[in-house]
Amino acid sequence: MIETREVNFAYRRGEPVINDIDCKIENGEFVALLGHNGSGKTTLSRLFMALMHPRSGEVYVDGENIAKKEPADLADRVGYVFQNPDLQILADTVWDEVAYGPRNKKLSEEKVREQVEEALAATGLTDFADVYPRILSFGQKRRLGVAVALALKPRILILDEITNGQDSLEKEQMMNYLRAINEEQGITIVLITHDMNIARLYARRVIVLHNGNLVFDDVPEELFNGTKDLTEWGLQQPTMAALAANFELTAVNAADFCAQLTLKAGDK
Amino acid sequence: MSNYAVEFKNFHYAYNGGEVVLKDINVSVKEGSFTVLLGPSGAGKTTMCKAMAGIIPYYYGGRYAGSVEVLGEDTKGRRVSDIAMRLGLMLEDYESQLVSLTAGEEVSFSLLNHGFPPDEVEERMKKALEDVGLPGRENYQLDELSGGQRQRLLLASVLAVHPRVLVLDEPVSAMDPEGSVSLYKLLYKIHQKYNMTVIVVEHNLDYVLPYVTDMIVLQDGSVVASGSFEEAASIAYEDRELRRILPALWQVKLNLEKRDGIHLGMWRKTSDAISELKEKYGRAEL
Repeated sequence: MIETREVNFAYRRGEPVINDIDCKIENGEFVALLGHNGSGKTTLSRLFMALMHPRSGEVYVDGENIAKKEPADLADRVGYVFQNPDLQILADTVWDEVAYGPRNKKLSEEKVREQVEEALAATGLTDFADVYPRILSFGQKRRLGVAVALALKPRILILDEITNGQDSLEKEQMMNYLRAINEEQGITIVLITHDMNIARLYARRVIVLHNGNLVFDDVPEELFNGTKDLTEWGLQQPTMAALAANFELTAVNAADFCAQLTLKAGDK
Repeated sequence: MSNYAVEFKNFHYAYNGGEVVLKDINVSVKEGSFTVLLGPSGAGKTTMCKAMAGIIPYYYGGRYAGSVEVLGEDTKGRRVSDIAMRLGLMLEDYESQLVSLTAGEEVSFSLLNHGFPPDEVEERMKKALEDVGLPGRENYQLDELSGGQRQRLLLASVLAVHPRVLVLDEPVSAMDPEGSVSLYKLLYKIHQKYNMTVIVVEHNLDYVLPYVTDMIVLQDGSVVASGSFEEAASIAYEDRELRRILPALWQVKLNLEKRDGIHLGMWRKTSDAISELKEKYGRAEL
């Protein structure tokens, strides 16, 4: 569980980027954090795991105030996957990269192997265990970032823009996998994204930030049903949501949508 | 004189010590077109962009066969900076292409590098900043610009030399939806104003749909469809993997056309689809 109480933040000499944010993310939730570039999404998510501390207000993880904590203290509870996968890569093989965290925790070699194998399998990287991580494709590096975080068995996973630069097949694979660990293992997912369609299809709750303020917090259907002017927040209604809403249909993808339409009599 | 902005002839390429990533590419991009380069990750799109700019094979080495022509001239043996006068390239990690302290210096740097006389540099720099919506910002420090503005700044440095072809590799991958829409609007304006050929790699085709004229579809290093956007999309739709990377609107259009044997319009916006569908379709009886 993550909770913020009247949290404020500003970078040195800068304008405030987070204004009085109160929010609570319960265990097992799947939350998308949306907002325009510079809205404060990444900053807020970094406060969640003590990568930075608020200027005022408090952040709680599992009921514990983390004001005095460092990221390492929270690493086995909160996993964080950064925007740029290259920044996180240190080891010479995929296996060692994923094993780095568990080994650091001084787990037995057997336990390390078990957790690494599980994380690799879950991210579809088992066959790449011996590969030099830097030669992986961009999408594979993203998955490696997730595997590294997962190997520590966190209860909460924060992912910053991990679907950028991936094609729709890779995105779907990654998102289905996140959905599975959320549903099957109850891992809380906080996903920062610019991809409206992903927020619509996978998140069960959407939080929107606008200039550092929390301006929306509800289910995705409420955000994307066409009644709100999303452009003001730098967002957009996903195409399929717009089509479905216009025909009062429930379709989530093109094939479903077509199945729910029939030609009018005169056009047959 | 060729009417092609870029033409690949029997082009093959492999990175040093690597497998062949482009196989027998025979494809051309029409001058004045707004062409999108589409394909699953790893299909060879970025490699193709680099080959157009001549940095493949010039900087990357590797093995290659065949040729790439830019505006009718073979890139082989040409200096990369000569090619850049006619074909501007903007890569995905655009931040790594920025080298200066202020916006004005950034644009001027590229012009001076190309050997433009100093008095002309100033004028072109100001004009380019204006063209990308950053008028009068020449004295701004780079860190005073937002990510989106830095991206437009890089576009200004590419545009300042007045290339006739502009190649962009995923220009909006880190931008929010509003920023992405406005960057493409800007690109279209520049494309129209200077009759500049635009070639763009973009995963989210919704952004380019309002403007695209032609499309090249790559899969596993080969061109599997090319031509007008409409033709290439119908071919790609026949492949299960490629179908899913087409814009959602066109997945609907091609699905219905095939199923119901009708012809629907050239949908560029969601509203085009909604009005035509409302006219022709009702809800299924469940």
